[in-house]
Amino acid sequence: MEATHEAHEPGMGGYVGIWIGMLFIVGIEVFLTLQGLQPYKLLVILLILAFIESAVGLFYFMHLKYERRSLVWSLIPAVVFVLLMMNHIWPDSHRLVNLKVPISMSGPGDASGDTK
Amino acid sequence: MSEADITLGAGHGAAMEPTFYGIQSKKLTMWLFIASDAVTFGAILFGYLYLRFGTSNWPRPFEAAGLVNGVIMTFVLLTSSLTMLGAVLAAKKGQKSTTIQWLGATILLGIVFAALHLREWFHMFHEGWSLSHNPMGGTVMFGAIFFSVTGLHLMHVISGVIALVVIAIGYNTDWLDAGHVETTGLYWHFVDLVWMFVFPLLYLMNVGR
Repeated sequence: MEATHEAHEPGMGGYVGIWIGMLFIVGIEVFLTLQGLQPYKLLVILLILAFIESAVGLFYFMHLKYERRSLVWSLIPAVVFVLLMMNHIWPDSHRLVNLKVPISMSGPGDASGDTK
Repeated sequence: MSEADITLGAGHGAAMEPTFYGIQSKKLTMWLFIASDAVTFGAILFGYLYLRFGTSNWPRPFEAAGLVNGVIMTFVLLTSSLTMLGAVLAAKKGQKSTTIQWLGATILLGIVFAALHLREWFHMFHEGWSLSHNPMGGTVMFGAIFFSVTGLHLMHVISGVIALVVIAIGYNTDWLDAGHVETTGLYWHFVDLVWMFVFPLLYLMNVGR
């Protein structure tokens, strides 16, 4: 059942080319790091390059390009959704840490409103 | 006989619908595990990035010269993915000795990566870095995050090396087949892809000016 996909997969020569391309991207990442860019700008560029590398590795090294579309659509949207949801939840948890309201425990008339 | 016939125990001559994904169950299981592991690393790296950019005294301990070890580690891991592909291709063609040679090269490169990583760790320990200590005087979160994330990745590499040894022995004794080699290859490539994020985010983003 998987035999039909194997005819379209690149051979070892193709994989060597992809490997060289990924090493080239790593070289670009190191070069840009040494240019002294602002951290946010460097982060955006490094993330874009990392996503390109991972997409190449995912679709070629891990053969996802040659699998059925059903597998691709089952895996990738779910992972992307979870990652995006976490990206929205982390700022809330970080903000809650900094917004902690101090509670005074020192007798009547304090902020908590407890009476004894 | 299709895999659907084997799994569903249908009799000869019964027309079966093809499976939804068209892959072996163990391969699907590995993909599902990879998806869960990917979101685990994603959560950790998201948390790291928010802490890193939300902390004013975040240290940047790596120097440009010190990146050489990280670049070599990246090269070693990428090359190990290439040798793993060689093993998978050879296994699909039924070339047993060639498969074992490629698997051996992958195992060796994995061990080299782990050794380089541990050497770097011990160098940082010697400089005073730990999970709860920062010799540069800033936040201790850098040490906690760096050693946690790289430690988790290193654990994946070491367990992957162990799995590859088992697969190599099993394939050589005909206990395991080419499908097992391919499935383990998926895990090994995933470990490499995680490093494609760990290296730029934890190393390159923390290079001092």
